[in-house]
Amino acid sequence: MAKKQSFFTSLSAGRLVVIGVPYFWFLLLAAIPLLIVLKISLSEMESTSISHMIDWSHGWPRLTLNFGSYQFLATDSLYFKTYLSSIKYAAITTLLCLVIGYPFAYYMARSPKHMQPTLLMLIMLPFWTSFLLRIYAWKTLLVSNGVINNILISLHVIDTPIEMMNNSFSLLLGMVYSYLPFMILPLYANLSKMDMRYLEAAADLGTSPFKAFWLITVPLSKAGIIAGSMLVFIPAVGEYVIPELLGGSSTLMIGRVLWDEFFSNNDWPMASAVAVVMILLILVPMGVYNKAQAEQMEGK
Amino acid sequence: MATAPKEANKAAQEILLRVENVTKVYDGTVKAVDDVSLTVMKGEIFALLGGSGCGKSTLLRMMAGFETPTKGKIFLANQDITNLPPFQRPINMMFQSYALFPHLSVWENVAFGLKRDGMPKDEIAERVEKMLSLAQLNQYAKRKPHQLSGGQQQRVALVRSLAKRPQLLLLDEPLGALDKKLRESTQLELVNIIEEVGVTCVLVTHDQEEAMTMASRIAVMSEGYFLQVGEPDTVYEMPNSRKVADFIGNVNIFEGKIEEDEPDHVTVRCPECVHYVGHGVSGHSGMDVGVALRPEKIMLSKDKPNSEYNWCAGEVIEIVYFGAHTTYHLKLDSGKVIKAQELNNTRDLSCGLTWGDRAYASWSDLAMVVLTQ
Amino acid sequence: MNSASNKIFAKAWMAIVYLFLYLPIITLVVFSFNDSKLVTVWSHASFRWYAALAKDSDLISAVLLSLEIAGLSALMSVFFGTFTAFALNRYKRFHGRTLLTSMSSMPLVMPDVIVGLSLLLMIVSVQNWLGFPERGLFTILLGHALLGTAYAAVVVTSRLREMDSKLDEASMDLGCKPMQVFTLVTFPLLVPALVSAFLLTFTLSFDDVVLSSFLSGPGYSTMPMVIFSRARLGLNPTINAVATVTIAVVTIAVIASSFYTSQQERKRKREEAQAYSNSNK
Repeated sequence: MAKKQSFFTSLSAGRLVVIGVPYFWFLLLAAIPLLIVLKISLSEMESTSISHMIDWSHGWPRLTLNFGSYQFLATDSLYFKTYLSSIKYAAITTLLCLVIGYPFAYYMARSPKHMQPTLLMLIMLPFWTSFLLRIYAWKTLLVSNGVINNILISLHVIDTPIEMMNNSFSLLLGMVYSYLPFMILPLYANLSKMDMRYLEAAADLGTSPFKAFWLITVPLSKAGIIAGSMLVFIPAVGEYVIPELLGGSSTLMIGRVLWDEFFSNNDWPMASAVAVVMILLILVPMGVYNKAQAEQMEGK
Repeated sequence: MATAPKEANKAAQEILLRVENVTKVYDGTVKAVDDVSLTVMKGEIFALLGGSGCGKSTLLRMMAGFETPTKGKIFLANQDITNLPPFQRPINMMFQSYALFPHLSVWENVAFGLKRDGMPKDEIAERVEKMLSLAQLNQYAKRKPHQLSGGQQQRVALVRSLAKRPQLLLLDEPLGALDKKLRESTQLELVNIIEEVGVTCVLVTHDQEEAMTMASRIAVMSEGYFLQVGEPDTVYEMPNSRKVADFIGNVNIFEGKIEEDEPDHVTVRCPECVHYVGHGVSGHSGMDVGVALRPEKIMLSKDKPNSEYNWCAGEVIEIVYFGAHTTYHLKLDSGKVIKAQELNNTRDLSCGLTWGDRAYASWSDLAMVVLTQ
Repeated sequence: MNSASNKIFAKAWMAIVYLFLYLPIITLVVFSFNDSKLVTVWSHASFRWYAALAKDSDLISAVLLSLEIAGLSALMSVFFGTFTAFALNRYKRFHGRTLLTSMSSMPLVMPDVIVGLSLLLMIVSVQNWLGFPERGLFTILLGHALLGTAYAAVVVTSRLREMDSKLDEASMDLGCKPMQVFTLVTFPLLVPALVSAFLLTFTLSFDDVVLSSFLSGPGYSTMPMVIFSRARLGLNPTINAVATVTIAVVTIAVIASSFYTSQQERKRKREEAQAYSNSNK
């Protein structure tokens, strides 16, 4: 009798630990911090500390919500413009990654089987080298006295250096460059699993290869397209390092605004409010991504 | 093959496993196993036969200890094991698709259970040696499972589950992962090894041939309960219900009413013909019954039989040639289609029938079974 | 459409994308051997910047700090990531499973600045309340471990998913107690996934600049933080040297490990084929 007990209690104790440990970990480091951000976005700076949201001075708790930061966000058109321009850059980045990455993933999936692991490794390899260093390298390539301009001038293709740095071009180049693997990998995973017999069946039924591609390959890789696009779009909206190093002052990105509010202005409630609105913006694409992932897992 | 253990257990007649009114409910509503009771004798090979989702695997998993019954009890050698965890049961299982540990060699796989028992090293070595020679795998001892063929993996799985000398061996679809050609020879090897060890077995299968050839008794399961439990020939020749008759082998079922009900015979009137059954049945005149008739018990001819009973006529609409036998599909005048199987015991097709021919099907008065359910 | 020209187009497309991906890396390496103080103008080859790197004590101590943080946070990530993977893979049904799933995937997609800000604000709140932790190595570690846990969970989950759950049952059937099931069967089979999770999370930590900037305190600058602050100011040939060193280490490690795994795979396939041909004789 005692043995029976111990087996089943140990089983449920094990279950409690296995579920409890990650739960505690993520609650502490992922969920609670976000709630704190929400809380602080609703308070205001009092010299160097943050006002208390709950006031006990009257003997009972009094909740004061301060919408000052949000009011400021709504009235200052610069914030609105910055959000809009972040979304614009993220969307263009996603589109470019898709246009470049889809054919690439498609050709990779159709490459000889023995070549594919090497091709895949070559995509992953830059991934393993510091992202920061690679962005820095673009800077050395793009500046007006940079490598590309120097080569072009010495070949007499151009006389004066082309402005390639600190504008939308350099920003988008850096973003596409950094996020391209995130687009290619899910697309490749999806396309390489696709049954070639569908295409054979389509050809057998008289579909031209071009039509078959649009009617069969693309719809079947929908999950990969969604996953890849969201993996690019969501982090791109809040990107900080790339605009800081390649974007110059003219390109507006919300990640930099958040950073400056926090580090330069020391305005924590404002930084938090910027973050909360940013989260609201990416909530929808995140939902789309999670749904697509769940569907793929069930469909498998 | 199936007769040897039968005689052995008649001598012993000792109950090893007793399942008492076991029910398993999932999610509060789905009854996977519904009030099942059974006893397995020592030395017996007992088969649970049924389609997918009939509850056979759940029942087996409760015997192994991976599931606990919602209601009911399980006894092994008179000890209540209902709530005993799997690692404390003297029961071992050979898993479907084997579940061999991929990171361990054949030798270590077989020794795995013995090590958990804390058996002395030299004894383990001796036992594993013995087991491997039983399965003729000695030269593969150092190989990893993926370096073996399907048949060899299956033998490793078998001796791994036998190594601890369990009182009861559970086999989950033992031949399911093998292709058809390999099945027959493997089945023989499997039964030989089991008989040599003399272990009691419960096996789960959806393949009626596998059940019939390996088991001494079969339980036919459907929707969580037993339709019929009996020896293979009983289940085949004397099914107790339309479901069993239909599940095991091919069968033609004629629906009709009992006309004469005598102790030594009954007649059943069906739209197609009148059946004269040469033994009494538990029924009464006027009762609705089904008459089950196996295709191989039907004789076909071009000539009308001169008997009052047990024949019917129809048109040959399909001839399916199997090599050893041929199956004819006969469309009776009522529109019902029956199947008749003729042995091809000469090289010209014996009865000389072809598509569109009118043919007469006849059978003896002991060929059919009257089904009341 | 002609299939030969199609093929040429495919190859050209792939070549261009690879060139795009490798161009900056090649530039970094090439110009690290440039003698000129100008990063972008080639004069002649020298190891000048490697010598400068060897004397750059700020950068070297930052590299050492980064290595320490990366190693520790990778260990923590693998530990918590394995727990997460088990919770989500082995228990299909418990209260708040959806919450755990979304919490564990949040660090994967959430922009770094938000993760960094929220963690910092949480740490400051705890600090006000309990008086610790001080911002520094420990707080950076927490941030990297949070990010790493999410990635490690993905790696371990995919391995668990393809693992036969019957193996657990088989080991229990043969006498393993629940803990032994893990130590004798599940863990040994997970080792390759744990190793790759470790390497991945190590790299993530070694690479991170945003979380570290939010979470570090005075006196704690990781290598990416130092590089980032120098890169903001302008171009600096020492960065090229340090980049080349890390690239060399990573490339050798990645190529060696992928060579090893493909060898193993080939060996396995060969043996499998042999087993089948033997048995069919």
